[in-house]
Amino acid sequence: MSDTSLIDSKGQLLTNDGVPLKESLRKSLRRTKIRSFLLLLTPLLFLLIMFVGPIGSLLSRSIDDININTVLPQTFAQYELWEDKSILPSEEMFAAVINDIRITHKLENSEGKNIGKNLLGKAGTRMTYEYSGWRSLLLKTVKSATSVNTRSKEEIKPYKWEAPYKEQMIKRDKRWGKLEFWQSLGAMKDPYTMGYYLNAVDLRYDANKNVIQKADHLKIYKTIWMRTLKVSLMVTIFCLILAYPVSYLLATLPMRISNLLMICVLMPFWTSLLVRIVAWMIMLQQNGVVNDTMLTVLPCIYEGPINLPFFGETNIDLCFSEEDRIPMMYNFTGTIIVMTQVLLPFMILPIYSVMRGIPPSYMKAAKNLGATPTRAFIRVYMPQSVPGVGAGCILVFIVAIGYYITPELVGGKDGLMIGNFVAREMQQTLNWGLAAAMGAILLAAVLILYWAYDRLIGIDNLKMG
Amino acid sequence: MKNVITKTLVASAISAAMLAGAAQASVTVVSWGGGYTASQQKAYVDTYSSGEINMISYNGGLGEVRAQVESGNVVWDIVDVLPSQARTGCDEGLFEELDRSIFLPAPDGTPMDEDLMVDVPNDCVVPQIWWSYVPFHKADTFSGEQPSTIQDFFDVEKFPGKRGVHTWANAIVEMALYADGVAIPDIYDVLSTQDGQDRAFAKLDTIKDHVVFWSAGAKPLDLVNSGEVSMSLAYNGRIGGAVLNDGADYVTVWDGQVLEEEWLVLMTGAPNRAAALHFLVHASSSQAQADQAKWINYGPMRPSALPIMEAGEPWFNTGVNIMEHMPNTDEHMKGGILANPDWWADNGQAVNDRYAAWMAQ
Repeated sequence: MSDTSLIDSKGQLLTNDGVPLKESLRKSLRRTKIRSFLLLLTPLLFLLIMFVGPIGSLLSRSIDDININTVLPQTFAQYELWEDKSILPSEEMFAAVINDIRITHKLENSEGKNIGKNLLGKAGTRMTYEYSGWRSLLLKTVKSATSVNTRSKEEIKPYKWEAPYKEQMIKRDKRWGKLEFWQSLGAMKDPYTMGYYLNAVDLRYDANKNVIQKADHLKIYKTIWMRTLKVSLMVTIFCLILAYPVSYLLATLPMRISNLLMICVLMPFWTSLLVRIVAWMIMLQQNGVVNDTMLTVLPCIYEGPINLPFFGETNIDLCFSEEDRIPMMYNFTGTIIVMTQVLLPFMILPIYSVMRGIPPSYMKAAKNLGATPTRAFIRVYMPQSVPGVGAGCILVFIVAIGYYITPELVGGKDGLMIGNFVAREMQQTLNWGLAAAMGAILLAAVLILYWAYDRLIGIDNLKMG
Repeated sequence: MKNVITKTLVASAISAAMLAGAAQASVTVVSWGGGYTASQQKAYVDTYSSGEINMISYNGGLGEVRAQVESGNVVWDIVDVLPSQARTGCDEGLFEELDRSIFLPAPDGTPMDEDLMVDVPNDCVVPQIWWSYVPFHKADTFSGEQPSTIQDFFDVEKFPGKRGVHTWANAIVEMALYADGVAIPDIYDVLSTQDGQDRAFAKLDTIKDHVVFWSAGAKPLDLVNSGEVSMSLAYNGRIGGAVLNDGADYVTVWDGQVLEEEWLVLMTGAPNRAAALHFLVHASSSQAQADQAKWINYGPMRPSALPIMEAGEPWFNTGVNIMEHMPNTDEHMKGGILANPDWWADNGQAVNDRYAAWMAQ
């Protein structure tokens, strides 16, 4: 085989089969790419179907206001024509409501089954989120507007109610004469709305779709968002304070002892969350183990009047008695304590595994070069443990920010977090739009945190082990 | 009389026909768990011979129901729901509207829908029980004068100690207004105004610093038992269960109790529809309703069950009289507030938001 046979006329290298080397390489590369993509296809599809799809569809509910717009199209069209929103709308708008109701009421699906009634029911639920009372007002009006004159001899029996409607409707239910109901339609008139997001941060639309503050006594979510942030930060910090020395011990002690200690860390991790929460309840409640113990163990130093200089005779109480029992459960404190314990392993494990990888020789070298143990620890050991600390903090913070079950059980009056309100909207009030909006904000917060971490420390530095 | 016989015959004929068509798969009934589900098991399921019934528990709310119906993947058949959920669920088409003629009339022939303590709200619902939110305490908590009215629950000076209250607004705002002097028939009119709501929350403010909040039905018993609170609101059946079954020394103060309806409904698209309907007919009969009171002190929704119970006293399974433990006797209804689910369906979100804000303050 001579050298020339491997080079074609254009000077390209050829393989043994005479195909240009470049081509052949590209082919085999493509084949590997396709093969690896096929291998990835299963998890990718799984991710799409189980994760991206459902989350996407739920998130889309946070801006979706299509249903109400298909039920009341004429009404909303009339709303645009309603100029002075400080006086009641004209007869046309009242008539539009009745028309919309009558048309929707007769809607059928492709199988000929009536779906209009349920659409109206859903519309009533939706409208009540905007202004209390809409549901019963709408459903009552549906009944009146759709009742027909059964004694009529015509084939299509005429409705009992006839135009003009304005007077009749107000007479039938005086709420139709209240401006607030009509004005609240403004927030629903577009098929896509930011209303749920506004609601989630204590804002709302006025009649002209300007963003305004909610009434003071209805403001609730700002407090909850701030508290969620506060709890997550505090839990992360407490976990870090507790986990760092523990991880250091685990990483530096001889294997035999550190394995034993590791089991102490993992045992609670493997124990059911509910069991741990109930155990804390027994310990921390007002008449629980901790308070009872303090009551019997703490000595009564002094109780009674005492003559103090400057203050004169004062009553002082240095006793820990019945009324001094500390409330540590069913409040903010309880949530912090229990969540810190529950999430502690998520902090210990990454820090530990990073610390394990730090060669002890570095510390020895630092000391050899004249650093004091403290200085060596701070300048040499700690910077190397940062990837583990970062991973632990991010892990704990992200898990904490969406926590639900612990605050639900021990949160009481001031320990509830945003997760509890998402659950409330999902299960109780059925306001899925609001729940989705809160979920989206939570997701955005986590993504921003991730991005910020990447910018500040670099995500490549994150080490889970 | 002839009418009754015909109706019964028709009902049984329909039932028989439905049974013939019923699949062998077991019907899934979803309820609240605890002593309540146990009573349904004993009174309805154990007495039912026409098919297999599988009772499971849930946490309430329509979230799961709506998810099943909207995704077209319905696995539940019958759900035990609160009054406002019975209404919204029926409006939205999550529950099926039922042919009312299949249900058994009372022994005297009154059709089921007229044999109810309230107007039937829609065609989806099948009667279950009355239950109530009611304050209670341990018999030895207070020496001297004992709490006897709802005012006493709001009076932490006369009756010291903390108060157990649930984490949502239902019932407690009605109680607050009643304790503040509003007459029972006017409560919802007053609550419908901004001033009225302010008044209720002002009354709640007076005990704010003394409240321990609970959200699970078993919790108030713990709170009272451990001495964490001196008085607590609870579901009357939970208190009754402890008293009647475990001999607990609890005193119920019936004045100001808020009574709520409880209904059974059939899921739209229920997988075992025919068998489920057949079971609903059985579970809503006057006799079955009376039977449930053998196991728990929730009041039957059908008044025709009461004479059966009275005639059978001692009716409770342990051999004690049950009538005096029922929330809806004339004696206990004197200070009883009937919750208005329509009002709550309209105003629940706003009032609960305000309540949550109040809790968080």
